[in-house]
Amino acid sequence: MKSVKLLAIVSVLCMTLLAGSLSAFAGEAADSDLAAIQEKGVIVVGITDFAPMDYKDDNGEWIGFDADLALIFAQEIGVDVEFQEIDWDNKILELNAGSVDCIWNGMTLTEEVDAAMECTGTYALNAQVVVMKADALAEYPDVESMKELSFAVEAGSAGEAVAVEAGLEVNSVQNQAAALMEVAAGTSDACVIDKTMADAMTGEGTSYADLGYAVALSSEEYVVGFRKGSDAAAVLDEMITKWIQDGTLADLSAKYDNAVSVAEAAEDAEAESEPESK
Amino acid sequence: MFGSVLSALSVGFLKTLEIFGLTLVGAIPLGLLICLGSMSRLQPLKYVIRCIVWVIRGTPLMLQLLVIYYGPGLILGDNWWGSGEHGRFVATIAAFIINYACYFSEIFRGGIQSIPVGQNEAGYVLGLTKSQIFFRITLLQVIKRIVPPMSNEIITLVKDTSLSRIIALQELIWAGQSFMKSAGIIWPLFFTGIYYLAFSGLLTILFNRIEKKLEFFRV
Repeated sequence: MKSVKLLAIVSVLCMTLLAGSLSAFAGEAADSDLAAIQEKGVIVVGITDFAPMDYKDDNGEWIGFDADLALIFAQEIGVDVEFQEIDWDNKILELNAGSVDCIWNGMTLTEEVDAAMECTGTYALNAQVVVMKADALAEYPDVESMKELSFAVEAGSAGEAVAVEAGLEVNSVQNQAAALMEVAAGTSDACVIDKTMADAMTGEGTSYADLGYAVALSSEEYVVGFRKGSDAAAVLDEMITKWIQDGTLADLSAKYDNAVSVAEAAEDAEAESEPESK
Repeated sequence: MFGSVLSALSVGFLKTLEIFGLTLVGAIPLGLLICLGSMSRLQPLKYVIRCIVWVIRGTPLMLQLLVIYYGPGLILGDNWWGSGEHGRFVATIAAFIINYACYFSEIFRGGIQSIPVGQNEAGYVLGLTKSQIFFRITLLQVIKRIVPPMSNEIITLVKDTSLSRIIALQELIWAGQSFMKSAGIIWPLFFTGIYYLAFSGLLTILFNRIEKKLEFFRV
């Protein structure tokens, strides 16, 4: 009887400790995150293998639109770059735990991202597209015709949000690659993923040669995310504005077969370019 | 293509082997310590140890990996694992050793308690000390008895190493999945199964040999 009581007390104690430590959650950034990074001498950039934004060349070096840009940014602030592959689901955890300094990997600006990170302005544009068997594309020219299809989407992704909003029947899977696999395996009729990814992963030379897309559900913006409260975001943001105006971004996009749609310059510049029709 | 997949998977498999080896090296002695603690006559120690074993065995290893790797940075505001691959590896080893030591400790406890008390009593009568009884009489018999449950647990460990991909450690499954994410090629992921199968096959043969070697204990 006595031992049972003791066991109960010990268990309660453990639970309280566990709960206490979890509620002590506090990811306060230092006074100046930029200064901390400069003092460290290296910026750790959280990425995934995601062509054409971040991927490895034949020598195993990280290249890509985002990787190249991160190198330029690091040079400007006088530090080295360390690219760290992360699990995309854990990007906010990685930032807050301090194991990476920023997320720079074709990240779509969502409400969740905006709330959890200090984001820069838009530097590139993207869309959410519906990928399905290429020979079925003609049958489904618009969202209305897709209502009876089953969709695979990445859990928590922008694609999931727009698919749900469009009233489509969705199954959430682990990541976009898994969503594509569902379509290839026929376990889902279609999936909603990034246009950038769909361009890189479907078609000849991939396992998804018979998949394609025609319909876009939404257009969206790519941003770079730092820890909440970090002053580095504003610094990078200024540089991005400069890079859009002086053509640095356009040149970089050309280097990667124009697979990245560079953002237009903010407000004033946009007003000037508006009369031109494309 | 096949060559580059094979070399990438082999690099991942090497990481898997490192986790496997280091976990065994750390978890077997720690497991023995925990086992002795959980049988201690010191009541508070015994209950604290049993409580720890309960928490570790009662929560998913995947969750423990997340808590151990991200916990210091999130809770204490200081990421003591450091950035980069090395920090992830050390955190993984720590999580695996703690987790497996708890499972091993229960196997050890079962093994030790299965030895008849009469042998202890006989030892005392002959004037042996407690440690002499443990090391000269009990231990070898225990080793023989725990080989089957240990082999079970160790083969599970081979496959559990894949859980470390949750903190982005680049082991075998990660290596297989990376082809799916970057090049849109699915078969390397399934091909990783061959590595796991071959390695656990090897271990099965090894444990069968050990069991045969220990057969002379049969009375």
